[in-house]
Amino acid sequence: MSTTVGAHYISEKISKVRWLPEKLQQSERFLTGSWDMDNNFVRVWRLHANPYAQGLEHTPRCNDKVAVEGDVTGLEFLNDDTFAVGCADGHLSLFHVQRAVEEDQIQRKARSERLHEFKCSQTRAPCTAIAVYGTDIATIGEDGRLNVLSANNLKQVKRAIDADSMTLLAVSYVSQHQLVTANRMGVIRMFDVRTAGDGQPKASFMAACQDTKSSNFVSAMATHPMQQHILICGSEEGSITVWDLRNLDYPASYLSAHNSPITDIGFHRQDPSKLFSAAEAGEVWMWSEKKQHFDASQNDGSSAWLCGDRLRTMVNVDGVLTNIRKAVNSFDVHGSRMVCGSDTEAVYIVNDV
Amino acid sequence: MSEDTVPQFELGDALAMRCGNTLTGRFVPGGSKIALSAYRPVKWSTRDAPSETAGEGAVLIYMAQETTLYTEPLLRSLLAETNATFATLQALGQGSKGGPKKTIEYIKISRTYRSVIRCCLEKLEQAKKLPEVQENESREQRYTDAIMSFYAIECLWHLFEILYMQQQHSQLIVPQLLEWTRFHYPNTEDHATDLLLMAEEASECDSYWDTLKTLIMLGQLDVTRAILSQNRKSNQPAFQTAEQVLKTMPVYTDGYALQKFCSQWEYWHVDLERKLTAHVFASEPQLELIMHLVSGSNEHWDAALLKSQDWYEFLPGYLLYTRPACKPFELRIAASNWLNRWLGLRPDWEMTQMSRMVMQLMEHDVKLFIYDTQKLNDSHLFATHLIDLIYHTGQLKAYFDQQNVDLSALRNSMIFEYGSFLMTSHNLWQLGIDYLDCCKQEGIAAIELLLPRIPLKSERQAFKIIAMAKERGLVNVEQDICKVLSKRAYSDQRYGSALEWAVRSKDVLLVTAVADFILKHYSSTGVMLCPDVITSIGARMFVSPRLVFLSKYFEFYEFYRQRDFLSGAELLINLLASKITPDYFWPSLLIDALPLLESEDPKIFCKETIAILQHLEMELVPLIERNKLNTAKFNNQTSKTVFQDYRVENVEEILDLMRLACARNLSRAMIIENTAPAT
Repeated sequence: MSTTVGAHYISEKISKVRWLPEKLQQSERFLTGSWDMDNNFVRVWRLHANPYAQGLEHTPRCNDKVAVEGDVTGLEFLNDDTFAVGCADGHLSLFHVQRAVEEDQIQRKARSERLHEFKCSQTRAPCTAIAVYGTDIATIGEDGRLNVLSANNLKQVKRAIDADSMTLLAVSYVSQHQLVTANRMGVIRMFDVRTAGDGQPKASFMAACQDTKSSNFVSAMATHPMQQHILICGSEEGSITVWDLRNLDYPASYLSAHNSPITDIGFHRQDPSKLFSAAEAGEVWMWSEKKQHFDASQNDGSSAWLCGDRLRTMVNVDGVLTNIRKAVNSFDVHGSRMVCGSDTEAVYIVNDV
Repeated sequence: MSEDTVPQFELGDALAMRCGNTLTGRFVPGGSKIALSAYRPVKWSTRDAPSETAGEGAVLIYMAQETTLYTEPLLRSLLAETNATFATLQALGQGSKGGPKKTIEYIKISRTYRSVIRCCLEKLEQAKKLPEVQENESREQRYTDAIMSFYAIECLWHLFEILYMQQQHSQLIVPQLLEWTRFHYPNTEDHATDLLLMAEEASECDSYWDTLKTLIMLGQLDVTRAILSQNRKSNQPAFQTAEQVLKTMPVYTDGYALQKFCSQWEYWHVDLERKLTAHVFASEPQLELIMHLVSGSNEHWDAALLKSQDWYEFLPGYLLYTRPACKPFELRIAASNWLNRWLGLRPDWEMTQMSRMVMQLMEHDVKLFIYDTQKLNDSHLFATHLIDLIYHTGQLKAYFDQQNVDLSALRNSMIFEYGSFLMTSHNLWQLGIDYLDCCKQEGIAAIELLLPRIPLKSERQAFKIIAMAKERGLVNVEQDICKVLSKRAYSDQRYGSALEWAVRSKDVLLVTAVADFILKHYSSTGVMLCPDVITSIGARMFVSPRLVFLSKYFEFYEFYRQRDFLSGAELLINLLASKITPDYFWPSLLIDALPLLESEDPKIFCKETIAILQHLEMELVPLIERNKLNTAKFNNQTSKTVFQDYRVENVEEILDLMRLACARNLSRAMIIENTAPAT
């Protein structure tokens, strides 16, 4: 099995990419969101078989685009054809994608009120990330606020918590009622978002850092799809910290990985033995658990990710993309295919990861 | 591609029209803008008085900026892709020097550049047909301009690659030149394909013989033969002979002895001419004409040339039939002869920039060529990348030395200009920085100037810029950006954020200022700002002593809140002794000690109480004295004093209370400490 990479220049700096969910087949369509352009767009792309095939199986073609008001900072699917877009103007939008034989279409269905603003100057604050659980959408922003909305009614904010007095950079659902947020100092806080709660963090802990005197933000977080108490954080110094949310006294594992800030981190959607991490210097690595460590005698029921120092010997690291030289901002894996969006203004489609 | 025309535009400024219609302008630093405004000429003899237009109308300042093609989003991919190739080339250049293998690598790079441009041209052609572009006339015009420019660039680059980048030993260039014309005059080939598809009916087509003639002049023998063999009369002897002649034309293959090839070709040529004089093809006049062209007959070529579009279109074809073994250095003479001949045929023809540049390349006038490439309206994309490539291959080094051109300096300045252009326009900073990286100290200096000038729209972007600065060791830039963001957050009353940015900036003064604000705010209102940030500052607090104090005081504050008085008291004493307490905070700190001193069960030991008392007398009292002096000096302006809070008025009272509390606690503590516990 050899991986092949195709680079396609699309004239936009890409901040987010997502495959359209498909249940039974390999997804052929993906979405991109751009940032730092004069006009930013959400686009839907479709892979077409390349007639001049020379190691390059598919070329993407843009089917439809919708202009958004600022940088796209979050893009997540709620169900098969609805997705939420967080935008740097502090609003959240819902889009609908229409799959068609010829040209797929996307349409904006709803837009929230301004969710994030700086209180004193009443100016908009960028929304920095979104997370989705069922029909609930959580947004965080540079104003340190955490909002939870229901996709059924974007006009009303279900729960708003002033979670932090500085920019929150990453958010992730642990369970339906529990969220973790990470801020610019690397402080991770866990919140209960049920309306009855008092909005105080249930727990807060710091990401590990090699040099305690330098700042180290947490820029990406992901929970294990099966074992949701495993929280993986990627940080500014390029290291990965793993937390066992049942035991917050100390991090379960710490891996020094990339040499530049981690931009995105996530498990394979169907195969949780694979973790991917993308970094500012233009790398995407795949961390896969070695199979032999899963025999019953050694395995005490806990995941390899919680094994502390032994973790290094239990995972393989492979470079999926290297030497891109500019930040890979986002990736998504569906089946055996991966799509990455980068500041080189190109999407990279990796086959057979 | 108009040449040597100075762009003109009109301003129509009312003020300027009233005062003599003169304008003044100056370059705006850090970009390609010019600021223009109305201007009244002032000489030494002008009277020094307000002009008649003074105060009447506003002085308008106009910003003029050179337009570039790259406002069109589609063309960004061209910039991004050439940037990636550029980086590959730089990496290649750093490897070991020379060798034939490298030449091949360089040709590959050159081809990559060209394919990037070709790919972009294709995208442009597609986009031009979209309805949204068709409706917008100016946009369509932009696309047309872009297509023209990049088409010309690709064409010239291709020719350059053929003439100057090949390895030395494959010296025959005619086949490659034929390939070049085939690429850039594709129309005839399209017609030929149509004819081939029509098979036998083709000969009835009106343009049949014209197309064949052009094919022959472009030197495409195989296609011509294929079309001729489909002719209904292809069995006739004239056609058979023609097929025979075309088939047997010697073609040079690599490794074949050149002498042998020449004699073979000579033999073939003489044979063809003999056939022509014997009127072998006389039964088919059109076919005979074609064979005359193949034999290189001047009069026939002259007649055919009248229809050609540009002077170089049929030059390679002509060379094929007259001097198939032409070498690069012979091309120069052949090209200038050919051009003279062509100009003789078409005296009223005006040379375009494109054809002039082709001429410069063929006549080995690379210096002029490079001068002309800089006039193309591609913002020097072509010139920069080409010169960089020339520099790396080193093939033309001798030529440039001879011309007294410092190639590496030229390359540096071109890359520098191009990089600065990208850094300052259209969010292309991420691409521009790669170019400036190649310019040594100058580049670093430019990066240091330009990076902090990128407008910061979000923190994520700021982090990217900071990462770039960090990678290059530009500590100042990193700190500047953090400071800007800290100030921004501060003025927006987001003090937690301001404090964190200040800590990141590692600027002691700024950190101290923000920490001061938080402490003062606390001492005047009793509200601690952004407790979450202060708790998690950790080891980062050592940036500034004031921040250390703030963190420690906050720790005390937390102990106090959690009613852990013993730990609190210990910390408080440490703080008192630490000598990092800011003047304005002394009253607060001592008042904080008051409840601890007065509490029912003693919390502070004898020794510590003495310490408190000592600080009270040694620090606070002199402070009050100094303060009084200042107040006296400034005429009782209490707002100018060191303490700006409610405690100021009753500071004497507080002093007394403190002294009393200390005395009481001291006595109690002494009794308890000196009473041996019952064992």
